[in-house]
Amino acid sequence: MANEIWVFIERTAHGDMAGVSKELLGKARELADANGMKVGALILGAGVGDLANTAFSYGADTAYVVDDGTLAQYTTDGYVGAAAALAKKYQPALILTGASFQMRDFSAALAAELDTGVAADSTNVAIENGVVSAVRSSHGGNVINTLTFAPGRTAVVSVRKQSFPEPQASPGRSGAVVTEAMPSVPMRAKVVSVAPKQGAVNLSDAAIIVSGGRGLGSPENYYKLIPPLAEAVGGAYGASRAIVDAGWVPYEHQVGQTGKTVSPKLYMAVGISGAIQHLAGMRSSRTIVAINKDPDAPIFRVATYGVVGDANEIVPLLTEEIKKRTGK
Amino acid sequence: MHIVVCMKQVPRDNSVKINADLTINADGIEQIMNLFDEYAVEEALQWNEKLGGKVTILSIGPEDWKEQIRRALAMGATDSLLLSDPAFTKLDTFGAARVAAAAIKKLGDVDLVLCGRNSTDDETGAFAPALARLLGWAQLTYVGKVVSLESGKIVAERHLEEVVETVEASLPAVATVVKGINEPRYPSLLRIRKVAKVEIPTWSAADLGLSAADLTPALNLVNRVPPPPRPKGEVIEGKDAAEKVARLVDKLMEAQVI
Repeated sequence: MANEIWVFIERTAHGDMAGVSKELLGKARELADANGMKVGALILGAGVGDLANTAFSYGADTAYVVDDGTLAQYTTDGYVGAAAALAKKYQPALILTGASFQMRDFSAALAAELDTGVAADSTNVAIENGVVSAVRSSHGGNVINTLTFAPGRTAVVSVRKQSFPEPQASPGRSGAVVTEAMPSVPMRAKVVSVAPKQGAVNLSDAAIIVSGGRGLGSPENYYKLIPPLAEAVGGAYGASRAIVDAGWVPYEHQVGQTGKTVSPKLYMAVGISGAIQHLAGMRSSRTIVAINKDPDAPIFRVATYGVVGDANEIVPLLTEEIKKRTGK
Repeated sequence: MHIVVCMKQVPRDNSVKINADLTINADGIEQIMNLFDEYAVEEALQWNEKLGGKVTILSIGPEDWKEQIRRALAMGATDSLLLSDPAFTKLDTFGAARVAAAAIKKLGDVDLVLCGRNSTDDETGAFAPALARLLGWAQLTYVGKVVSLESGKIVAERHLEEVVETVEASLPAVATVVKGINEPRYPSLLRIRKVAKVEIPTWSAADLGLSAADLTPALNLVNRVPPPPRPKGEVIEGKDAAEKVARLVDKLMEAQVI
């Protein structure tokens, strides 16, 4: 096992390094310094440009690069094939990736290819006496698991974004570039087209989320109350499973066990009773506001601030008050 | 077309407890078919109605998992297979994938494997990718629409966070589906009665030629705790709605969250 921690470098739609990759480089640097290890940046793509230098500035010592037309778009076979070939050759102790859908697809397949395991959607990672451990929640956030990898196998850990702070860049910091050719791998799938998603709402990225539930009474009330309040606080709007299943709001907006798991700085639950499946998706939010008629609703047990009352009366007042006080 | 649906049984909700030996205690919680797997079953049935062939429900677990397999049979699946062995009780995600891969290889004629995007209990989402790699098949995760399915080829839309990616892959393949891909049907009473006595074939580790190494977890669970309790909250009081709202906004501005 080489003494290296690798970070898979993800790019934004504009080709820049994704925030999560910077966060992971920062964490990898910290772990490497504490354990006498080095940091490698795993850069795959077609025309990767200046990414290696960006990776050095965020803490990488070495960039492992495969720059090949086959990798112009993400495909499991292409990316896993290239990453697995590099990992088999250079034997990193740990590979960190983000935990977007694409990275969940990649990290699990890569771990299988390397005959190791994956700690999926983790929120922390550590190395002690050469043993890699990761912390991940399961059961809708009701169980926090700590897992260790057997020494001698490359550990693969996908990490939820914002688990670690983004480090300061040190422009001009340099490193070594190792370039490898694209290995010959079977390409069983190809991307035919990529289209922006209609009405895409990236709830996972929102700093503030205002969600509505059945207590609002009707879809008309939902749209009359929730989006304006979300707009007043500069947030996105979400929904409980009950009203998604009832067809009031598209699935994209669902928060909970079978929807999105979110942890914004502010989560406002309006007319949501707080079924355990909903709490699973939002209980790690920093501040939680609950507005509900029923003072015994379970949502109040996780709320930072609770307001007992009729949402149809409270929310318009709240929206106006926030606009007035924040000057928006 | 032979479609296999991998189905997991999970607790209806996640109000589980943790046993002293770190296993999960779901006593008293109803066991149901993993919600995402219900969409996989429905998708398989719809394509089976168009293309004919077989839909096999495959599940790994103890005998009492047959109840959920019967539910899928009552929805319309044609075949079933339970992979059951005392040696399977401590499987991790990849161990489960090795067991399923061995069974799918033994079935021999499978064109497509459908799974839910993840189970709602373990939530790794890693089973299907591992299965695809073990079988050497294409993998299509987070599918929100199967556009076409014919001999030798699948075209499907992967519904990612911000884009829809249309992918064409050669069969056989493994795909995972998201909620909303279809509207799962309810099993009819007639079919529930019809499948009540159906024999569900069961294969053991020995039937699958699996060794102890195949079943050994790659990850060791060393600690398992409930999440830290949330700090105690406060109810905002006031003589009327306006006063409550004003006080709430005070609090939110003090906390600098708005």
